[in-house]
Amino acid sequence: MTTKNSGALVSTRRAVLTSTVAFAALAAFSGVSGAAEEKPRGGSVSINIGTEPPVLVLIAHTAGAAYYISGKATESLLTYDTDFNPQPLLATAWEVSEDGLHYRFKLREGVTWHDGKDFTAEDVAFSILALKENHPRGRATFASVEQVNVLNRHEVELVLSKPAPYLLSAFASFEAPMVPKHLYAGTKIAENPHNVAPVGTGPYKFVEWVRGSHAIFERNDRYWGSPKPYLDQIIFRFIIDPAAAVAAIEAGEVQVSIANLPLTDIDRLKANPNLVVDTDPPPYSPSIARAEFNLENTYLADIRVRHAIAHAVDKDFIVSTIYLGYATRLDGPVSPDLAKFYTPDLPKYAFDPVKAEKLLDEAGYARGADGFRFKLYIDPTQPSGPPKQTAEYFAQALAKVGIKVELRTQDFATFVKRIFTDRDFDIAIEGMSNLYDPTVGIQRLYWSKNFKVGVPFSNGSRYVNPEVDRLLEAAAVEVDPKKRRELFNAFQKLVVQDLPTLDIVTPSVITVYDKRVKGLKTGVEHLWSNGADIQIGG
Amino acid sequence: MSTTDIATLRGVATDRQVEAAEQPAPPTPAEAPSWSNMRAPDARSQQSAAVSVTNGRRALKVFLSNPNALFGTGFLAFVILIALIAPVIYPGDPLSMVGRPFLWPGQNPAFPLGTDSLGRDVLAGIVHGARISLFVGLVATALSLTFGVVLGAVAGYFGGRIDDLLVRLIEIFQTPPSFVLLVVLVAIARPSATTVTLAIAIISWPTVARLTRAEFRAIREKDFVVAARSLGYGHRRIIFSEILPNALPPIIVTSSVMVATAILMESALSFMGLGDPNVVSWGSMIGTGRELVRTAWYLTALPGLAIVVTVLALNLIGDGLNDALNPRFSQEG
Repeated sequence: MTTKNSGALVSTRRAVLTSTVAFAALAAFSGVSGAAEEKPRGGSVSINIGTEPPVLVLIAHTAGAAYYISGKATESLLTYDTDFNPQPLLATAWEVSEDGLHYRFKLREGVTWHDGKDFTAEDVAFSILALKENHPRGRATFASVEQVNVLNRHEVELVLSKPAPYLLSAFASFEAPMVPKHLYAGTKIAENPHNVAPVGTGPYKFVEWVRGSHAIFERNDRYWGSPKPYLDQIIFRFIIDPAAAVAAIEAGEVQVSIANLPLTDIDRLKANPNLVVDTDPPPYSPSIARAEFNLENTYLADIRVRHAIAHAVDKDFIVSTIYLGYATRLDGPVSPDLAKFYTPDLPKYAFDPVKAEKLLDEAGYARGADGFRFKLYIDPTQPSGPPKQTAEYFAQALAKVGIKVELRTQDFATFVKRIFTDRDFDIAIEGMSNLYDPTVGIQRLYWSKNFKVGVPFSNGSRYVNPEVDRLLEAAAVEVDPKKRRELFNAFQKLVVQDLPTLDIVTPSVITVYDKRVKGLKTGVEHLWSNGADIQIGG
Repeated sequence: MSTTDIATLRGVATDRQVEAAEQPAPPTPAEAPSWSNMRAPDARSQQSAAVSVTNGRRALKVFLSNPNALFGTGFLAFVILIALIAPVIYPGDPLSMVGRPFLWPGQNPAFPLGTDSLGRDVLAGIVHGARISLFVGLVATALSLTFGVVLGAVAGYFGGRIDDLLVRLIEIFQTPPSFVLLVVLVAIARPSATTVTLAIAIISWPTVARLTRAEFRAIREKDFVVAARSLGYGHRRIIFSEILPNALPPIIVTSSVMVATAILMESALSFMGLGDPNVVSWGSMIGTGRELVRTAWYLTALPGLAIVVTVLALNLIGDGLNDALNPRFSQEG
């Protein structure tokens, strides 16, 4: 592997070298001719994504690390502008029937797969059904899709059993990749070898994946969106150690870094004139940090205890000290980045330890001889970083109001098993993705019918409120956007009142990149898009 | 322990050393050259009583005249003292967030060694960390010594099928890389000071067991053991009163190094986030400070220094004990 690795690095260096020469030539040329706007073509960009994903195509997987990679080779039907409006990608036009039960997509013509075969409606129909059957989220997203009809070579129609108002938001490239039927048909989708060696229609073709080191994609010269892509190649690196990741971006070994960088280093990186620090999360699927209460616990089942906890912790302290300001305080289950559904008009629990103590006294839990009322366990998702620090802070803050808290740490798999299978927890400090629509990303966490032991990221607190269920179920099939929004507003108010989970912050997603790199952030997908617009200039 | 046995200890130990080089060599008892071919323990008892006392004193003298060993002992005593008085000088939870985050050492007299990223007092952490490090180091070593010595003694003394069986058992534990085994054990059990200590003991006892077994195999054929057997001593008495005291010196030396190793292993576990999250240890302080090494290096350097000096002290003590107890070096004293 070492030799292969160094070989790749050498070739990277060579590529950079050639591209530099190309730029020099280009610059000289434009200098002579005085041509104004010439998009820089060529070059290579290395992106450190930190964690290495298990697959490169998300047809039957939702590995977060692969979000950055999947869309580069395998595209979907749509992309989205910054206001979340659908834009053409593999589909050039689409229409939804009045009743919301028929979706018709007109597909782009003259598109070929990386292996030279034509992209047709058959591939789309096959892929959507494959997603419905194999994709962990797709099973829910496409649950109401009854049939996919191929109308002709470049037109498909989706027939739904009930309206799914979020469906048009689901066709981002990393979320619903289109895969070639001729390579996937008749195989086990989840085990298809092309999941680790993608063949798609995207702007970049797969070259190699050296496990533990990097994955290389090169320019697809026959891309339908010619003259895009501008780059000759994209290299994904997997440098997970935070200190090494910082060193890599500072040394110019990678041009873009979305790995977990130590927050304390961000200010220093900001001062570097060659780097740009971007802190906006991709609005397509904002993450939130929250404290999930196990309502099966006798103490936490009491709403006064939950309210007391909310008053005992200072979210602003968490924002300023743990996240060093790289997060936004959150008072409800929807991140402000999901602007369409966010409502700022929610009850807020002020930091007020005195009130917390009062609530705990009222609940009948007086301080014992040792100064504590009762004891709870707290489990952070990770044994390090902000989740653990948040848990440490909770332990300290709750001790002050008389709740003894013991911290437990474990690896991620054990954490997931503890919360959702063993149900052996009191408070879990976790990150949860909002996804592109509350019906997909948020309903699962609060809907009483989604309390399923053994299913990760379901209703882990075992929250049951018939009114919340009703609002969620109504919103899931409501076609009118305005009414739908009202339903979700009512839902947010209700869960913030009941507080089955305490939403804490929505963390910034920090992207650090070389200032010569342009076109990284497109629409709401940002770096999860197909990357056709990325350029590297002089 | 009878004086006879202590006396033979020296002779036997020398035996073993020489044997390693050219075997079988005539035993040359260190303190009794005139009786170098003496084989009957009881015949020698009169003289050796005096010899043994000198030996114990001599060992202590050698140890105390070694400046490195003295430094090690002194520093270890200091760390033990700090650990004992930690709750007095820093009452309360060392994990509580008491000050402004990222105060550098010396910046605020209330926090002489500064504060970490969450505003926790670094000095309080180091002082309380000494308790955990020493607790884990000493208890894990004590456990693995007990277990390892008993099993090694039984295997070495009885030999045969018992030996085969126990050696296989030891090999099972020695086959996987010990630190990987440690990580697996701690990941399965919930990390806490107790589980970490037990896990370290589980991976360290095979070393002791092997060492003890080798000693016992060497000693059990010695004449004084044969004599003890012919006098009708029981197995237990022979193992614990006759052979074990003679086998102890290398085990004592090893154990001081084992304490150091256990402290390092606990630190490594905490560094990886597998330590007990409810207590401060030096390793966990380094682990949380690691990400900040470019901006606040003191957060890793200070607890790191504590580990380095403590482990160094234990190693110096180990060297000193080795010099004092190993008869090969005893002639010049």
